[in-house]
Amino acid sequence: MAEPFDIEKRTAETAALTSPRPRRLNLEAWVCAAAIAAVIILIVLPLAFLLWGSVASANGLTIDYFTRVLHTRIYFQALENSLVLGAWVGLFSILIGLPMAWAVTRTDLPGRGFVKLTATLAYLSPPFLLAIAFVNLFSPRAGVINTLLRQAFPSHDLTFNIFSMAGLVLVTVSHTFPFVYLLAASALASVDSSYEEAAQILGAGKLRITLSVTLPLVAPAILSGALIAFIEAIALFGSQAIVGLPGRIFTLPTRIYSLFDYPPQYGLASALSLIFIALTVAALYLQRAYLGRRSFATLGGKGGQSRRLSLGRWRWPLFMFSVIVFVVVIVLPYGSLLAVSFSKSWGLPFWQNLTFANYHFVLFEYAVTQRAILNSLVLATAAATFCVFLGSAIGWIDVRTTLPLRRVLDYAALIPLGLPGIVIAVALVQFWLRTPLPLYGSLAILFLAYSARYLPLGARVANAALQQIDPSLEQSARILGASWAETMRDITLPMIRSTLFAGWILIFVPAIQELSASILLFSGKSITIAVAVYNLYENGSIEAVAALAFINIAIIAVAIWFANRIGGVAVRPEALG
Amino acid sequence: MSEIEIAGLTKNYPGPGGKSAGVTDFSLLIGSGEFVTLLGPSGCGKTTTLRLIAGLLKPDSGRISVAGRVLSSAQGIVPPELRGMGMVFQNYAVWPHKTVFDNVAFGLKIRRIPAAKTREQVARALASVNLGGFENRYPSELSGGQQQRVALARSLVVEPKVLLLDEPLSNLDAKLRERMRLELKQLQRRTGITFIYVTHDQSEALALSDRIAVMHEGRLQQYGPPREVYRSPTNRVVADFMGTVNLVQARVCAASDGGFVAEAGPLKLALGRCSGIQLGDQVELAIRPESIRLAINGGDTAGVRTRIEEVSYLGNFTEYSVTIGPIRLRVQSGPDAPFVVGDEALLSIETDQYNVFALDKNTK
Repeated sequence: MAEPFDIEKRTAETAALTSPRPRRLNLEAWVCAAAIAAVIILIVLPLAFLLWGSVASANGLTIDYFTRVLHTRIYFQALENSLVLGAWVGLFSILIGLPMAWAVTRTDLPGRGFVKLTATLAYLSPPFLLAIAFVNLFSPRAGVINTLLRQAFPSHDLTFNIFSMAGLVLVTVSHTFPFVYLLAASALASVDSSYEEAAQILGAGKLRITLSVTLPLVAPAILSGALIAFIEAIALFGSQAIVGLPGRIFTLPTRIYSLFDYPPQYGLASALSLIFIALTVAALYLQRAYLGRRSFATLGGKGGQSRRLSLGRWRWPLFMFSVIVFVVVIVLPYGSLLAVSFSKSWGLPFWQNLTFANYHFVLFEYAVTQRAILNSLVLATAAATFCVFLGSAIGWIDVRTTLPLRRVLDYAALIPLGLPGIVIAVALVQFWLRTPLPLYGSLAILFLAYSARYLPLGARVANAALQQIDPSLEQSARILGASWAETMRDITLPMIRSTLFAGWILIFVPAIQELSASILLFSGKSITIAVAVYNLYENGSIEAVAALAFINIAIIAVAIWFANRIGGVAVRPEALG
Repeated sequence: MSEIEIAGLTKNYPGPGGKSAGVTDFSLLIGSGEFVTLLGPSGCGKTTTLRLIAGLLKPDSGRISVAGRVLSSAQGIVPPELRGMGMVFQNYAVWPHKTVFDNVAFGLKIRRIPAAKTREQVARALASVNLGGFENRYPSELSGGQQQRVALARSLVVEPKVLLLDEPLSNLDAKLRERMRLELKQLQRRTGITFIYVTHDQSEALALSDRIAVMHEGRLQQYGPPREVYRSPTNRVVADFMGTVNLVQARVCAASDGGFVAEAGPLKLALGRCSGIQLGDQVELAIRPESIRLAINGGDTAGVRTRIEEVSYLGNFTEYSVTIGPIRLRVQSGPDAPFVVGDEALLSIETDQYNVFALDKNTK
């Protein structure tokens, strides 16, 4: 016997079925709202106040700061030096990175793994430590190599003065050539060999194929790598202060830094920062445009690896070139720094001079360095974790929701790519000094600076990871009755976990050595490793600097070892592009 | 004339996914102006063979000669750029950084043809593939089919004696594929160029080729005109690969007329023309679905009683799945279907429209 159809009862049953539990708070909405608020506080407001600070004066709006920046010799000179530095670095990054990339991907060069290692180490080597090491080697009077050169050739002056534009370019290129290397190598490896075979069958020889098919196909990647090298080069505060200032070469970051000397000139600093941003953004725009054309090289297809070119008698010269690069950018600087870190006093005969005292000093005796190590570990961990989760939320909003202006949010999260570290610091100062919150000089403002600086990495990684996941996988869970939070916890996050971990490491590694923003924001209480290194160096305690430098490198090495071990994560600068 | 002779060609070669895609003791004679297809499943060595002919790979042993001149042997190879062949790649390999004109003109530039003549020849080549007026476009502005034509024009403009095509239609959609198939056939007839065409699509091979070389696991299985390969496959591998086939195990018995008959349950098929078969042998029958006739039970037609298990109407024909005892057969007949599921019918097989293969011999 069928029961009489009771419409009200059935509706109630259906309702009970479709929502098995009473709906509590809508977590998805809260997470999205929090992410939007975070982006506004981290990036939008500080930038707005930076802009405001560059045009506001006691008597209303003014363009006075900009006119002064562009018409005062010292500021204009800084802009010019930055441009010259960036251009040389871009060029030399190609000259070093491209032959290495080509040799590794396309030829029978011996020791190709060794070349790859060189590029990876150079990319990971903290630029301000490299600068200190190069000063140790090439400072005009006391530099180790300069001294040796004077002893070996007393009659000729073959010494190299590191405190010069050439020195600055050398230090910077040693860190930036891997950007060209990695982009060019991946482009060269992904050029479908059928493009080259098609030319070969039509009768073209090796040289012809290289010049008219291969090179044009990878040119966008090469240029793109050079532009990243340019952007990176002009933003590095540490090397420009350590190598540039003694040679009276002021650049944008060091000039902005000096504007914070008492009495601070926030207006001028803001105007200079905005010009700095314009430069970076222009380069970034060009880089994007070139990278967009990189689709050339990644059209994919089968057709395996093309035969490697036999280098013949060029084998060993090219190998020697790689060895020289390895020696100059890794062995010499870090070898000398290592020696210094174990020396009682640098300059005495080495073997009678060995000691662990420097490590003991920075680790167990000196409160400042102890605090710096702890602060940096806390900051890097907190910022990396926060950026990954905020990045995931932003990625979620962009990829999975239909909120209006979600693309704008995504772009806003990427803005810091165009902001040099010191500019972020200026913007944060401009914003937080105008609020009643006493953040200036605290760990909190450093946390905000790091989070803003590395948010693009978190957002990029999370966005890419979410796009890989078909929404139907999440929808299946929702249809089975899982809430948004449960779906995130059981389905989405587990699937993107290893990618997020890679992103975490990508943030942790630069954050543990952050100097450009920290230098303007630290206080005695919130000092970080890089700032402590810089201060010790300024005070001439080169042995303690070296010991602290190797502690910093050890932390980086452990993080990368851990990442490789746990997640099979390769730390590469791709995500910067 | 450019007759191609491949003799005892062997190449060990890793294919996709770590499987071997090599070729073993492969011999083939391709006449001048012929359209020959290398047909087989992926990993059968057909692309490897094509790349060996192009000179992109060096054989481990054996040789390839064109017009009596040895181009490839284990001792050495004439490099691809000196062979004067053309090749169309599966992914077209149209250079994305060059315009259509520059793509097509590339081979002429290598040959140092004067600019005026180059323009004229490129225009003619593009016209022949219906791409006149596309000279200044970039490949990214073209559809897959148009890129395919650019690749063809680029190969044809240098007037090769031999054109190698590696699954050129496999990246196109079905409609376009059929149209390009027709155009390729006409192009080959018009130019008289020898086409060596690699595909895994048997209907493409049947439609295009003068002769088909069926390959399996690196070895040549059969080489002959399409009709022969389809109707008289030399082994079950070829039979199975060339379209749908029912493979039925049977036993050789004596027939009343003194010949042999293959028995599979109630199904009995005369083996008049098969030699090398002895009484009591286990054999396999290869029967094409379209060679089987179904008639309404109860008429005076001879046949085996069968039950209709499934009926699928496919537009231009109807496919049945029928059973005779434990044997299940696929049958294709005209679109008008007189039977429904559960009907009984009388099944007969056209004389000589099936093939017999001895089991455990000839099967590999």
